[in-house]
Amino acid sequence: MLSRIAESLFWIGRYVERADDTARLLQTRLRVMIEGTSLTETEACRNLLALMGVEEDAEPTRDDLLRTLGYDSRETSSISASWALARDNARRAREVIPAELWQCINTTWHSLPSGRIQLTQAHSFCDWARERSALFTGIARGTMVRDDGWQFLLLGRSLEQADMTSRMVASAAPAAGATQWPQVLRGCGGHDAFLRTYRGVHSDTGAAEFLIVDARFPRSIMHGLIAASDCLRTVSQAKPGARSVDEAQRALGQLQARLEYTPIEELLGFLDTSMTGVQDVCEAVTETVTTSFFAAADSRAWTTEGTR
Amino acid sequence: MPRGHHAVGNVTPMKDVLANYRPGTAFDEMIDESGEVRPSYQAVYGSLQRATPGELKVIAEFLANNYTQAGVTFDVGGVERPFPLDLIPRVIAAPEWDTVEAGVAQRVRVLEAFLADVYADARVISDGVIPRQLVTSSTHYHRAVWGIVPPNGVRIHVAGVDLIRTPEGDVRVLEDNVRVPSGVSYVMTNRNAMITAMPAAFSNQRIRSVAGYPQRLLNALRTSAPYGIDDPNVVVLTPGVYNSAYFEHTLLARTMGVELVEGRDLECRRGKVLMRTTAGLQRVDVIYRRIDDDFIDPVHFRSDSMLGVPGLVNAVRTGGVTLANAIGNGVADDKLVYTYVPDLIRYYLHEEPILRNVDTWRLEEDAAREEVLDRLPELVVKPVDGSGGKGIVIGPRASAEQLDGLRRRLIADPRGWIAQPLVQLSTVPTFLDEKLAPRHVDLRPFAVHSGEEVWVLPGGLTRVALPEGELVVNSSQGGGSKDTWVLSPPVHHPGGWVNESEAEQTSAAEPDGSAGTSEPTPQPRRPSPVPLVVGRPPGLAPDLVRGTPESQQEQQQQAGRWC
Repeated sequence: MLSRIAESLFWIGRYVERADDTARLLQTRLRVMIEGTSLTETEACRNLLALMGVEEDAEPTRDDLLRTLGYDSRETSSISASWALARDNARRAREVIPAELWQCINTTWHSLPSGRIQLTQAHSFCDWARERSALFTGIARGTMVRDDGWQFLLLGRSLEQADMTSRMVASAAPAAGATQWPQVLRGCGGHDAFLRTYRGVHSDTGAAEFLIVDARFPRSIMHGLIAASDCLRTVSQAKPGARSVDEAQRALGQLQARLEYTPIEELLGFLDTSMTGVQDVCEAVTETVTTSFFAAADSRAWTTEGTR
Repeated sequence: MPRGHHAVGNVTPMKDVLANYRPGTAFDEMIDESGEVRPSYQAVYGSLQRATPGELKVIAEFLANNYTQAGVTFDVGGVERPFPLDLIPRVIAAPEWDTVEAGVAQRVRVLEAFLADVYADARVISDGVIPRQLVTSSTHYHRAVWGIVPPNGVRIHVAGVDLIRTPEGDVRVLEDNVRVPSGVSYVMTNRNAMITAMPAAFSNQRIRSVAGYPQRLLNALRTSAPYGIDDPNVVVLTPGVYNSAYFEHTLLARTMGVELVEGRDLECRRGKVLMRTTAGLQRVDVIYRRIDDDFIDPVHFRSDSMLGVPGLVNAVRTGGVTLANAIGNGVADDKLVYTYVPDLIRYYLHEEPILRNVDTWRLEEDAAREEVLDRLPELVVKPVDGSGGKGIVIGPRASAEQLDGLRRRLIADPRGWIAQPLVQLSTVPTFLDEKLAPRHVDLRPFAVHSGEEVWVLPGGLTRVALPEGELVVNSSQGGGSKDTWVLSPPVHHPGGWVNESEAEQTSAAEPDGSAGTSEPTPQPRRPSPVPLVVGRPPGLAPDLVRGTPESQQEQQQQAGRWC
């Protein structure tokens, strides 16, 4: 597998997943704000923007939130920007991804809102965005050959999913006042599954446990981390003995162990820190994968072939 | 078939689509000078007669959307644009295609011989067929590749020969493209889109398939592999995603099942070319490159090239890798060399040219230059090394200042230019603003040379100039394209060839193409299939339980009643 193509597939996986999760976060937060919370609109918006790494000096409103995370493709964290980046990568990998998959990405990109969208349209926009990601995932699963390319796509997707779920979990931090776990669970599409698994017993710890360590739930952090470890193992078979890949594996394993064997109350007590820890590991693994598999041009090429 | 068998308007009353179709002075591919439909267009004409503008509009919109969704685009200045596909095909009758095919193959064979000669001992010069100065002064004559003999002798793996039809009706060669001709992807996507958009049109007649191109190309690339490589690793080398033909590069790589690489994916080590993969470096044997010579290797050519691969020329020279098409081919499609191609055909092949050139003035000849300078406002002047319609000056369209500027440049650099009369290209009906209007077209057939044979893709890219009266058809100049249908010769079989009016009638009802074209062959007996398994209806108890839940429920109620 060509390194450049592998890199594109990795990022297609990440961006499509990011678009999905951003839509979920945005939808959840807008809903929470309608249902009333102890936070002011400005605080609620600023919290979420900070969580997504957006610097916002002024007092953000719901409209700002929708613009920054939703339709404005100039904002790097928006759903629109994620799809545009996914398409950019897909264009570069067009000959290796199935035609149907390319069309799914291309059609989505063509239907992105060109101008401003109203708050009243926010939900249908988020629904649409989630559906497009789901369509992508379905087509990818149904049409892609299970080669290294698939593994890199899945690796990107899994890392992104773990990363974004950690942000979603952090958004339910107790500092936000009234408990927001039900909304976060709903945002992850896991509310019913949670109720069934925990036999209807609502508790913050139960919800946190479900979203963080229950590997059976496909949007849990643990599920993402395990999937990423599996992909990494498969792709590194072609490159045995690469020390940096081992480091990435170790980082993923340590994180899994830490989440699994730390009492859930303790995790909840330092929710922000532990979730930031998840994001740090995802970033470090991405860097390792980039340097060991997507290596850039060797600057010595000129010196070895430059003269006759 | 007797001409005039289907006179205009005899079959059904004309609907408004064709009502106002009036060809101009140019040769019209559908209607002849006496106003009758040419035999090759009978079926298309019949379909058009039945169509309403509304129906055609729906098809046109389908074609446009289809291309936007599928991302069939070309880039102009970094902006992706869909490549407009017109719904009326350009149809070529079987006998005429035979001539075109032979003529195109002949051109490829002669240019191949010419390249082999000028990059070796150049007998063509010592025998006085072509002036030495003309060859060596070509901007695309590269001394860096002198003496290199490709493994199977092929330098022109792919050629695109631009053809036009004059008002008198003869097909002429406008230019040869033996460097990196593009456009073949649109031939394939146009056909796919047309089959989807109007299946019925294809059931009327036998149209030769264009689907074999990727396999032919791959075969030609594989047979050109360096000596001793049995299972060569073939790649397509693209300048990158911002190139106007990037879509084509991806399509070719995808349909050949090979990697699409950029220069930065490759590196040369000791005369071998390697590509960077997730599993380390991997040897590359054949590169179908879509990068111009100037950018291909910064060591030998432009040192500021970010697209090429340093050391590639050395790798080619030492036989570590094959480039397709070969470096230095540009000398063969130099527009001044073009004027000598008929002589070259006689010299190398001892044949007469099958397709004639367009009359061309060589500005280095004093008499010709005088005449051209006098008649500049009525001529077309082209730079000898250009492609894609760049730098062309059309006399009748140019302003006085432009002509003055051109005149000065011609006098300063007569080697750099040729002049041709302004040819009114033939026209094909084109659907614009809900009606049909004649628009000028050219044709670029594509040839693939495997070393054993020159194969010509049936049809080729028909480019159409969309503005009225416009003669420049290049896609970079706002042109569109048409599907090109080469008709198969009628096949005679016991059932007899279905006559056209019958086929037309059945086609509307049967868009599956079965109407009379396929011979009834005895069907082999198939084993009877296993029936599809279905689940049990919901709510049913396991088989062990006798009776249905409903009956048990009834019993419960009865029991309750009796208790």
